[in-house]
Amino acid sequence: MSRAIRLPLPKSMRELFDAPPTPGVLGVFSHLDAILDAIKKLRAAGHTDFTVYSPIPRHEIEDALGQPVSPVRMFTLIGGIAGCSIGAWLSLWMSGDWPLVVGGKPILSIPPYVVIMFEMTILFGALTTILGILLNSLFAARRLGTIQYDPRFTNDKFGIFVPAGSDKAAGVETLLRGAGADEVRRG
Amino acid sequence: MSDSIDRRRFLKVLGVTGAGAATVSACGIGPEPTEKLIPYLVQPEDQIPGKATYYATTCRECAAGCGVVARVREGRAVKLEGNPESPINRGRLCSRGQAALQGLYNPDRVPHPMVRNANGTFEAIDWDGAIQRLRAKVAEARGKGIVFVSGAEVSSFGDLVDEWLKLVGGRRLSYEAFGFDALRAGNRLAFGTATLPTYDLANAKYILSFGADFLDTWLSPVEFQNGFTQAHAFEGGRSASMAKFVYVAPRLSLTGMSADEWIAARPGTEGTLALAMAQVIVSRHLARQPADASRLVGLLSGYAPSAVAEAIGIDQDTIVRLAREFASSGGGLAVAGGMATQYENGAAIVAAVNILNYVAGSVGSLVKFGADSAVGSAGTFADLVALKADMDAGRVALLLVHGANPAHSFPGAFQQALGKVGYKVSFSSYMDETTAACDLILPDHHPLEQWGDSRPRAGVTAFQQPVVQPVFETRQTGDVILQLAGRTGTFKDYVQGKWRTLQPRGRTPAAGGDQFVFDAMTKGGVYGESPTRAVRLAADLSAVAPRLSTEQKGSGEDQTIVVFPHPVLHDGRGANKPWLQELPDPVSKIAWHSWVEVHPDTAAKWGLATGDFLLLRSKFGAQKFPAWLTRSVRPDVLAVPTGQGHVAYGRYAQDRSANAFELLSRDANGYGGRTFVVAATATKTGEHRKIVTTEGSPRERGRGTVEVLGVARAKSLRPGQAPFHHEETPEYASKAVEWWAERQHEKTELGNYRGEHPRWGLAIDLSKCTGCSACVTACYAENNIATVGEDLMQRGREMSWLRLERYWLTDEHGEPQGAVNSPMLCQQCGNAPCEPVCPVFAAYHTPDGLNAQVYNRCVGTRYCSNNCPYKVRYFNWYNYAERGGKYEAFPEPLSMLLNPDVTVREKGVMEKCTFCVQRIRGAQNQARLEDRGVRDGEIVTACQQTCPSEAIVFGDLNDPRSRVSQLAGDPRGYHVLAGLNTKPAITYLARVVAQETPSHG
Amino acid sequence: MAEQQTPGTSSRVTYDYVTRTIARTLGGPSRGYFVLLGAAVALLLVGIITLLYLLRYGLGLAGYSHPVYWAVFITCFVFWVGIAHSGTLISAILFLFRSGWRTAVYRTAEAMTVFAVMTAGLFPLIHIGRQWYFYWLIPYPNERGLWPNFKSPLIWDEFAIGTYFTVSTVFLIMGLIPDVAAVRDLATGWRKKLYTITSLGWTGTNEQWRHYSKGYLYLAALATPLVLSVHSVVSWDFAMAIVPGWHATIFAPYFVAGAIYSGCAMVITLLTPIRKLFGLEELITVHHYENLAKLCLLTGSIVGYAYVCEYFIAWFSGNPHERAAFWYRAFGPYWWATWTMIICNAFLPLLLWVKKIRTNITALFVISIFVNIGMWFERYVIIVVSLAGEPYEPWANAVYNPTWADWGIMAGSFGWFFMWFLLFVKNFPAVSISEVKEVLAPPKRGQVRSR
Repeated sequence: MSRAIRLPLPKSMRELFDAPPTPGVLGVFSHLDAILDAIKKLRAAGHTDFTVYSPIPRHEIEDALGQPVSPVRMFTLIGGIAGCSIGAWLSLWMSGDWPLVVGGKPILSIPPYVVIMFEMTILFGALTTILGILLNSLFAARRLGTIQYDPRFTNDKFGIFVPAGSDKAAGVETLLRGAGADEVRRG
Repeated sequence: MSDSIDRRRFLKVLGVTGAGAATVSACGIGPEPTEKLIPYLVQPEDQIPGKATYYATTCRECAAGCGVVARVREGRAVKLEGNPESPINRGRLCSRGQAALQGLYNPDRVPHPMVRNANGTFEAIDWDGAIQRLRAKVAEARGKGIVFVSGAEVSSFGDLVDEWLKLVGGRRLSYEAFGFDALRAGNRLAFGTATLPTYDLANAKYILSFGADFLDTWLSPVEFQNGFTQAHAFEGGRSASMAKFVYVAPRLSLTGMSADEWIAARPGTEGTLALAMAQVIVSRHLARQPADASRLVGLLSGYAPSAVAEAIGIDQDTIVRLAREFASSGGGLAVAGGMATQYENGAAIVAAVNILNYVAGSVGSLVKFGADSAVGSAGTFADLVALKADMDAGRVALLLVHGANPAHSFPGAFQQALGKVGYKVSFSSYMDETTAACDLILPDHHPLEQWGDSRPRAGVTAFQQPVVQPVFETRQTGDVILQLAGRTGTFKDYVQGKWRTLQPRGRTPAAGGDQFVFDAMTKGGVYGESPTRAVRLAADLSAVAPRLSTEQKGSGEDQTIVVFPHPVLHDGRGANKPWLQELPDPVSKIAWHSWVEVHPDTAAKWGLATGDFLLLRSKFGAQKFPAWLTRSVRPDVLAVPTGQGHVAYGRYAQDRSANAFELLSRDANGYGGRTFVVAATATKTGEHRKIVTTEGSPRERGRGTVEVLGVARAKSLRPGQAPFHHEETPEYASKAVEWWAERQHEKTELGNYRGEHPRWGLAIDLSKCTGCSACVTACYAENNIATVGEDLMQRGREMSWLRLERYWLTDEHGEPQGAVNSPMLCQQCGNAPCEPVCPVFAAYHTPDGLNAQVYNRCVGTRYCSNNCPYKVRYFNWYNYAERGGKYEAFPEPLSMLLNPDVTVREKGVMEKCTFCVQRIRGAQNQARLEDRGVRDGEIVTACQQTCPSEAIVFGDLNDPRSRVSQLAGDPRGYHVLAGLNTKPAITYLARVVAQETPSHG
Repeated sequence: MAEQQTPGTSSRVTYDYVTRTIARTLGGPSRGYFVLLGAAVALLLVGIITLLYLLRYGLGLAGYSHPVYWAVFITCFVFWVGIAHSGTLISAILFLFRSGWRTAVYRTAEAMTVFAVMTAGLFPLIHIGRQWYFYWLIPYPNERGLWPNFKSPLIWDEFAIGTYFTVSTVFLIMGLIPDVAAVRDLATGWRKKLYTITSLGWTGTNEQWRHYSKGYLYLAALATPLVLSVHSVVSWDFAMAIVPGWHATIFAPYFVAGAIYSGCAMVITLLTPIRKLFGLEELITVHHYENLAKLCLLTGSIVGYAYVCEYFIAWFSGNPHERAAFWYRAFGPYWWATWTMIICNAFLPLLLWVKKIRTNITALFVISIFVNIGMWFERYVIIVVSLAGEPYEPWANAVYNPTWADWGIMAGSFGWFFMWFLLFVKNFPAVSISEVKEVLAPPKRGQVRSR
């Protein structure tokens, strides 16, 4: 079964998640080094926007692809700062809004509020990070469109999908075979 | 008054619903449902909802006849306070007086007349029927013996009863379980007069008590305590202050705790000691003696210290020292009472003490004869024994009992005798032991519902007027008697008629004295002085021989058992009032059950631990008591309190612990009195119980919770000195701390906290506090504090916002000489540790310096209590207001005495003392209405109000002129745990003792 | 990441082997599993019934007595929060340290964390007097304009625990996504559907991995200080109070160490049966156990040191209250609790210095259980004994005894925890598939495959 998983979703959402299928060639590899030089060959051949499947994150692949650093960190940073300020606002404003003296301490006393700020920083930082991961992956999926997939990719096989019209497909197939793909499929 | 009756009834109904709304709670989970109060349909004139009315009347809990003012809200009596006009108690009140309310609203009162039916059970009967029945019985009993047993009734009611008895040919016996027969007999022996003198404690310079517990149960405790503190308290260099107080008795009582020295003379030798001292005084001419003192020489010759010291059990130097101190004090007062007057030789002891006073020249100055005391007229125990004999012999056809419970205090014997009486009628409004054995019950009003009066001593008549509409279908016995006597008019008219006659001669009777009566009623009575009589030694002093029968003991292994009256339950009449049951005994701190005091050395011999049961078996009866190990009793003596062991008398009293009266002899002794000392065998039963006590550690361990000073040191202190100011931080550090504190304080100036505010505070003088615990009961009454009952209290769940901590004062051998009592309540800290930890601001600091506790906001994390170094916060573990709940604290109609100004706390919230904030706000509102500031002394907390020794002073610490801030500046002043920088608002003034090197804990 | 085989894992362990072995753990549950689950649910019921009683009649049913106003409930609260700590530690901190051995155990640890926090979070709600007003601690806008007191350590707690629960849950889910996807591709039937949804359409493209691994890194970076902060805050519930025995600056590190200590012990306790049950001996090896044991040894020693410090400072301070408190602790009526704690926590783990014991799984299992007991008593001693023993007011001393209500709720908490844990291990991979693969040598051309 070679089609991407279809999530049961309402129409509009499906539009967002399941982008229209993209024609291309899928190569299945069982060796890391094989897929690495496949990547090299493809890049040499001027292919840019191909997708690499792997059951685990391998830095070799990342290096080979030479991708830019993920923008997720920006989300984390902004989230953290936002959380901190929310924490500060909560504790300071609320103490001021209902001013009661306890234990002869100042009504607005920063030290105890630092704890709140800190916790809020972590909380919002974490949540925005997740958001970042989800959004970025989503945008990527949207850009690439629905592409071929093989369930073995989550087990022990590596894979490369190269978007290619019928004209280029043949060339890509031979290239992947040459790099040592176990099998090559056109979809 | 009478026109207002309807209004009162209406208000009573209103009151019930009000209380209902206040106390009814949801079943378990969730917030309480709100209930609507019934609004006034017709606004009664002279009644403002939410505003209290006050009625002056008289407390009848004991024969002292203290004046009280009842605070009545919407027709419900919610608080009793001393009547300042009364010369007896001068506006003060004891625990028993405070608890009178729980007698009024007691859930176990006899609600209506009842008659014993064929199958021996009681059934309701209407009043007319009941009175018919009684009239018939009286008719058929005429000539066959009619006896009316009453309490100590020196009153119009007593007079009426006597008049009626004369009519029907009966006799009256007024009976007090703890009679004063020995006093009268002893006075007769020494001075040939059977009257009781007045003792001027206030002006004594040296007080020597031979067993007289004048602070708890003897004669007129509140009056005496007030006087005692005037003499004994330390006030600067005042010469009269710090009269040394020496207590001579086999055990330390509540009174003994205030002693500077405790002489644990062998039981029965008190008189010997007194005569020995007299001997020293006479032989060494230590005091100017009256002319006829020489007659004593012969008598005293046999009492040289060297001769008797052995028998007494102390060394002769002590006797000589005491004699010197006593005589040289220029105002020595020796009183004999309590224990010392309850031996076989009690009368002789009293006589001996009289002689001691006589030779010291105190008779006539400090001991004044003339104004006989009410209790003096009570019948002797011999009379009761005689009555019992008559009953057994069937010579009593009709027995009427009012205000006495002989079946409890004279158990067994009287109980059996009752069976042989033709017809028995009780006027008691409680189902006590005697009443339960009667055939007809005509429940009397509670004194607070009654017209009446009481003559505590010659010249003083204290008036009684109803303060509330009767709670039940009771009827005033006075009215019943009038009806029986076939006389017209109500008892009210009868009494007021008598009152008119009190009008001083020569005054024009304004409208038949109505005006006079009205004025007197507003004052609470007619208070006059009575002339004193000089007394001389009796012609024949041969009977003054206290050395007779110093041996109380029987066979070898027998123990000397001393039975003493419980300070608050007294002879047992207090046992049906939860406030008194839950109040820890001031000495043992044990509540809800009886105990036997055993010296640790004795206990060690028997392998006895606190809580182990001892079976005491005397010739007359046997009872089991759990042991309480204490050094405050002689090793060769076991002491047992009365008060418990009721077989009837309502849910709070019934089947609780054991009745000590069972152990006592059933025969009157030589002077017609009752002997409260008995020889008995003590055997371990093997049973054990957890003692219900509030005592954690009896040792204070120098934690600075109580401070004690020697008198010389105290006198040497100059203003500005601070002997208890422990400087824990070095100079530079404290400077920095000061600076920081100021910065911090500035940052609290926000919102309501801006501007000038009072800082409420208390000053508590430990050298005045006797530990009598009246303040505790007053606090319960004022603040709707729940009583939790025996098993919860055993688990440390008591709610008492104010507790009295009793730490022994010991001599160099570690033997107790007395005790320091420290009332511990919320200190209203300036930097309160409890506040910042509360997550919801339920505990916060008010601008006027209180640690407010917002019950409605509290979620019950209990963090505040953990963080309170004084441990004065209490948690509602259950819903104590739940109707029919297992731990219901205010069963109907007890709920009617709840103070409407204070909430009844819900399950799951923390509660604590806030200086009676309702009173503070009340006074502030009043002041605002009158457009003025709150005056110093205008606000009086419940504890301060009732304190018989005036040890507590409340006021504004920010006002330098207020009494409290002056006391706070006293060099004796200290803060508990000041080292924690909690800045408490309560200043304690150190206890001052006559010893030079006092040690405690 | 580690190129060489993790020590102890044989060459038979290939990507495929890993996937299948772990997927097998999700297979049809055995009878034994149901017995365990049933036991857990039964315990939970006991707890629920007790709770209903508490709600109806009040906290009086528990053993509280003046002045011991916190007792078994708070003890359990701290105990469970403590348990919760090793999880994030192993998954986050060790992740940052790039220590490979964590991969086999961190999933279990994380799941344990989440469920332990869930359990701990219940206790503050149960122990308050008016449980139905618990939400008053939350800063929510209300018509009366009332807000909580941010100076109260309990509010810090609320924020710390809340954050910790959220973050650790999120962390767990994140780690699960690729694994669930892997399982999805093998599953059939309703499970297929379940995993299809929970894997959020994971396919393992380079784009996904790229954002995922960066995000995971930042999460770890955030979680690390969080772990340390949470138990510090919990410790401040006590350290901020002035009770002798609570009021100590050492508390934060002391509690954190203790937490990780108890956490690792609990991991060992849980891992051992799972390993047996699911036949994961190849993946979770002695090597992993030894590392856990070393972690225990380290934290245990810190805890032991803290005990010594406490007593030394109590003596050194010269403060009579402190001295009395600690004297009472060691020789008062609660001496047995104190010594149980000291022996289980400070002395027993010293055995771990011996490699023989360290590498003997049975021995480790036994020790871990004792450590759990010891840590429970540590909290009991700190909370109950400090309150009962020597408050400032000698008069207020009192001895406290728990009742059936205390034990009932405690039993319930164990039931609640194990119920969730058992349900988890049967429905989601209890060992991380992708990360275990990460530490294996990747398949290369010319390698011999031993199948």
